[in-house]
Amino acid sequence: MPARTVNAALAGSLLAALSIVSASAAEDKMAGKEKCYGVAMKGQNDCAAGPGTTCAGTSKVDYQGNAWKAVAKGTCTTMKTPKGMGSLEPIKM
Amino acid sequence: MSAATETAFGAALRDPGRGAPAHLAPSSGRRPERRFSVYRNNVAVSLMGALATRFPAARRIVGEAFFDELARAYVAQHPPRSPLMMMYGDDFPEFVAQAPGLDEVSYLADITRLEAARTRAYHAADADPLPASAFAALDGALDEVRLALHPSVEVVRSGHPLVTIWAMNSGEAELGPIADWSPQDALVCRPELDVFVRRLPDGGAAFLVALAGGATLADAAGRAAQEARSFDLTENLIGLIGGGLVVAIRPSQQGDAP
Repeated sequence: MPARTVNAALAGSLLAALSIVSASAAEDKMAGKEKCYGVAMKGQNDCAAGPGTTCAGTSKVDYQGNAWKAVAKGTCTTMKTPKGMGSLEPIKM
Repeated sequence: MSAATETAFGAALRDPGRGAPAHLAPSSGRRPERRFSVYRNNVAVSLMGALATRFPAARRIVGEAFFDELARAYVAQHPPRSPLMMMYGDDFPEFVAQAPGLDEVSYLADITRLEAARTRAYHAADADPLPASAFAALDGALDEVRLALHPSVEVVRSGHPLVTIWAMNSGEAELGPIADWSPQDALVCRPELDVFVRRLPDGGAAFLVALAGGATLADAAGRAAQEARSFDLTENLIGLIGGGLVVAIRPSQQGDAP
């Protein structure tokens, strides 16, 4: 496309986009808010203390070899995939 | 500690078969081997815990027991390179992608890529998104405009319905069979306080990647249209501007400078 046509197409799209964005008036969302430890994304709230501070490991010896004894029993069996139900067999590494 | 001592200590820490490192002197009468194995166990368990914290959706998908085995194998091969545990597991997705026996959950690696990107976005530098009014003031050679994207922006491309699977396993959507197994690309960003995961429209990933790489608006739109015939520029600009993904506009004169 010639530069002028591209420019016109861009300008048209931009205008259309701006009319929708400003209609939703998403701008002053941050008024009166501050970033702090109290505001975090789901699943990240406990990061301030940090993983790795646990002493859970002292109660049992957990660190044993590489044999994969586990069978997947998670949600993969619920979400049907083209490759099957996600019922993983035990594997070795 | 000398480098050799450190290396031996580190190797013994990762491999229970090695026993305690030589020259380990007990401060009390207890056997150092036993106390060292407690320490070794704590290291492994805490690193596995760090992975479980960072990759909760992946853990939910394969279940805790399976994930912990996966994490254990990773931890044994990948000691942390930084004391910042929130970034531990940056290369866990590559590990998962090459792990054997995951054929039926071949989307698991992409889920971990998305979850790793979320943590990076959460800790990315703060920047104020440009308001829509900044774009309204633009005129002239729009096609030569380049945009600086928010530091938290990451695109995760996938051959699987990545966003749907992630949403179902992070409490954002109800869990159930996925009828439409079409590929989905994800956008991860944190324009303000919260990390967002969004499904990108057709061509949206190519558009954002091109913009992030310094392409002009026209070039980025061209590349996106080339990849996806259904690329809709208006829809993508709405996402870009309304989503707060742009932090600066570089007009053509500046943008062309080396």
